[in-house]
Amino acid sequence: MNTTPSEYEIQAYVDGRLEETRRQAVEFYLAQHPERALEVRAWQRDAQQLRAQLSGVPDIPDNPALDPSRIRARQRERLRMRWAMAAMMLLSIGAGGFGGWQARKWQYATLQPPMADAIQAYRMFAGDGAGHFDFVSQHYGDLRSWMGRHFAGAPSPPDLSAAGFHPVGVRLIATSNGPAAMVLYEDARGDAISFYVRPPSVRGILPLGQRRDGDLVTEYGSANGYDYAFVSRTDPDVLKLLHQAMRSLT
Amino acid sequence: MTDHTIDDQLREQLPRLRRFAYWLTRDPAGADDLVQSTLERALSRWNSRRDATALKPWLFAILHRQFLSARRRSRRYATLLERFQATEPAEQPSAEREATAQSALKVLEELPSEQRSLLLWVSVEGLSYQEVAEILEIPIGTVMSRLSRARQALRRSLEGEIRTPTLRVLK
Repeated sequence: MNTTPSEYEIQAYVDGRLEETRRQAVEFYLAQHPERALEVRAWQRDAQQLRAQLSGVPDIPDNPALDPSRIRARQRERLRMRWAMAAMMLLSIGAGGFGGWQARKWQYATLQPPMADAIQAYRMFAGDGAGHFDFVSQHYGDLRSWMGRHFAGAPSPPDLSAAGFHPVGVRLIATSNGPAAMVLYEDARGDAISFYVRPPSVRGILPLGQRRDGDLVTEYGSANGYDYAFVSRTDPDVLKLLHQAMRSLT
Repeated sequence: MTDHTIDDQLREQLPRLRRFAYWLTRDPAGADDLVQSTLERALSRWNSRRDATALKPWLFAILHRQFLSARRRSRRYATLLERFQATEPAEQPSAEREATAQSALKVLEELPSEQRSLLLWVSVEGLSYQEVAEILEIPIGTVMSRLSRARQALRRSLEGEIRTPTLRVLK
């Protein structure tokens, strides 16, 4: 009868999960070992306190985006887009040589979209307020010397003030190739352009190119041993501006 | 099972998932992101769920894994940041942490996330030891010893809170 209860039994006793005879055995043991009893009773009180304080719903606002039906709808939409893309590719393969070639290009782009990390960074951090930046400055001098310190030799963030865009800050991002930086510009309307720099990927030099993803357009290339990209909302004036900026970098 | 009944079952678990995520991340926005990715995963994996698995521990297991991988990502980011800040000229002293009166909640917040999860699962959510063992993929004996350590840690911090020494004894 006077056996030392196992760890399991002690914890189950605290949680009220022991069957009656074992519970009595633990009670008996604790009566003989007041120090252990003190500890176990304190654990019980702590658990009660946690339950009392935490079992209510914390004071966080309702979030309709978390409703399962909404999440399901978003997943369906993503799936539909993927099917649409696949159907389009099949169609162009059917359309013959040129179509097939085009489809191959699309397929390549879908499998290995260049600078996908730049677009992801834009989506995550653009228009998100200054709280997320690792370096905040509106001055090109500060910005360039900061970038120069951390990304030696990398293309400098170009001056886009002619088009009304001013730098807001820099966010560092960990990528599989090493540290990347995203410089964010905004204009008076709150439209954002990002300038993204990262070490080159193993695939080698990135040829100049453009990709469109929904309402975003990305212009990318390589310079001085870095890959870089501009990401912005699609807008003809902005595109012209970005083309100029690209020319100044290469 | 129709989508509708699945959604109803998930909806029923939503408050406790949010609550758990909230105490785990200590950040309302981060908690909701975590819950969202948990639900996305749960929906896409619904059919691979063994019928015997109860919904609640299954969802907690997904949430816990999502939390760990998000934390790995943010650790990578923090390491990166540290490395960069080391080369930064000193601009401002690091903000002093204010000493504030702490309750059991505050103390709980300071425990490592696994101890926090354990205490929440067992004491608040009422999961069985077996369910916790399955979530963490560890033997039940290990659950018990970790639970014991978590309770000791909580107790120690609470005691430290109650009689905060004004002088530290120097050895």
